[in-house]
Amino acid sequence: MAIKRGVPAILKRKHRRLILLLACGLGLGSATALVLSAFRQNLVFFVLPSDLAAQHPSPERTLRLGGLVETGSVHRSTKGKEVDVRFRITDGHTAVPVTFNGVLPDLFREGQGVVALGTLGADGTFHASEVLAKHDETYMPKDVAEALKRKGLWNPAKGPPPPASTWNTLTVPVTTPAAAAPTASAGERQTGY
Amino acid sequence: MTHLPFIAASYALAVLVPAAFGLNAYQRLRRARRRLAALSGHGHKARSAGNP
Amino acid sequence: MSPSSVKAIAEPRGAPRRGWHRFANPGRFLRAASKVQPWLTAFGVVLTAVGLIWGLFFAPADWQQGDAVRIMYIHVPAAWLASAGYLMLALCSAASLVWRHPLADLAAAEIGPIGAGFTALCLATGSLWGKPMWGAWWVWDARLTSVLVLFFLYLGHITLVRAFDDPTRGYRAGAILALLGVVNLPIIKFSVDWWNTLHQPATISLTGAPSMYIGMLWPLAFSAVGYACVFAALALAGTRAAVMERRIRALLLAEAARAEDSVPGAADALETQVPA
Repeated sequence: MAIKRGVPAILKRKHRRLILLLACGLGLGSATALVLSAFRQNLVFFVLPSDLAAQHPSPERTLRLGGLVETGSVHRSTKGKEVDVRFRITDGHTAVPVTFNGVLPDLFREGQGVVALGTLGADGTFHASEVLAKHDETYMPKDVAEALKRKGLWNPAKGPPPPASTWNTLTVPVTTPAAAAPTASAGERQTGY
Repeated sequence: MTHLPFIAASYALAVLVPAAFGLNAYQRLRRARRRLAALSGHGHKARSAGNP
Repeated sequence: MSPSSVKAIAEPRGAPRRGWHRFANPGRFLRAASKVQPWLTAFGVVLTAVGLIWGLFFAPADWQQGDAVRIMYIHVPAAWLASAGYLMLALCSAASLVWRHPLADLAAAEIGPIGAGFTALCLATGSLWGKPMWGAWWVWDARLTSVLVLFFLYLGHITLVRAFDDPTRGYRAGAILALLGVVNLPIIKFSVDWWNTLHQPATISLTGAPSMYIGMLWPLAFSAVGYACVFAALALAGTRAAVMERRIRALLLAEAARAEDSVPGAADALETQVPA
């Protein structure tokens, strides 16, 4: 009898420990969620051109500006290995002119997401000391990209490509020019930089 | 192949890190099995000597 | 509370608990694990080899990243396993704290170093990928920072579990740390959606179609499943070794006690040195 009464007592203790653990988890989780939402603004890696226009940061403050390289805005003047480059970073609403002297990452191109580290001059030009390229989450072979561009289904300078399901059937190398894919407006899937 | 040094370093790590863990686990298992065999054999003898 | 109502509370969890506690018997665990482990190891090695060779030599290069995209076949599985391994560590810790499962502590102590190894692999390959693509070895964005925190959580667990003379206290402290660290897992997962990061958002999600060419998806699937099997095999092998090492210690203590028994008065002196 003593054993029979002991078994539920042990179960109850385990039950209590489980409830205690779940309560601690709930408390910790909600505390973390509150802290994270409070610091949401401070956790961003870069600011957008619209934020920059709204904030007017002081010229000596170093900050990171992120967005897409505006199509047709890139002007390079090569001096040896390093390049003097001028371009504009846009988020679709506001564009900020950027100057940079140095080595650009391999992925830098028009329409590419970039993050520039630097200061905002009094004339509204952003002087970058470092430019990082942000690549999107799409992985696509070169031949497929060429085929999409050739067929006018996608312009890399304008936005991200159509969904993978529409070009997975394109073989590498492309031999079927008739592989019809539904035309997706490249601009409408523009990611929210 | 573009970016060969970066790719080569990554694939070297990809093989070496799990292999190091695997080798360590294998040696631990082998050592434990040997010691256990030696100990239980020894214990068996001691017990049989103690209780004829 | 009447006995029947206590039983009603206890009953629903009774069945799964009995299931896990089958393996509380170390002999039964060792027999089952020694049967499963060779298969797990073989599957893991073969699938990983297929995935990595496919990814390195046969998968197409990316249109803008070139061949550097081949680092993905290592980096992505390592990142997934870094998080999944921590989840396993947390589950073992819960099983230890709530149900006092005797194997959970040993398993948690073994998962810690392996998880740290895979997190280090993820960070190192990420760095090797970031330099040529982004233009930086490291940036302090939310994704990279939260994965670094995960690495430190693993290191903290490894140290804490081994920091006490009484192993039970070490396991208890490690389990609490592991459970506190679980809040970091959703932060890692959603960091790329919640904040502006340099790291790109997820390519493969449970809800939507992956935005990756099918010829790149297959080798990634192989290496991901392969690495998962390798991780599980390593954790299982470590736990087997730990169970055997515990048995060796018990046998040595028993033998020492027997030897001291024959010397009158010495058993009391031994008793004070040996923890109960």
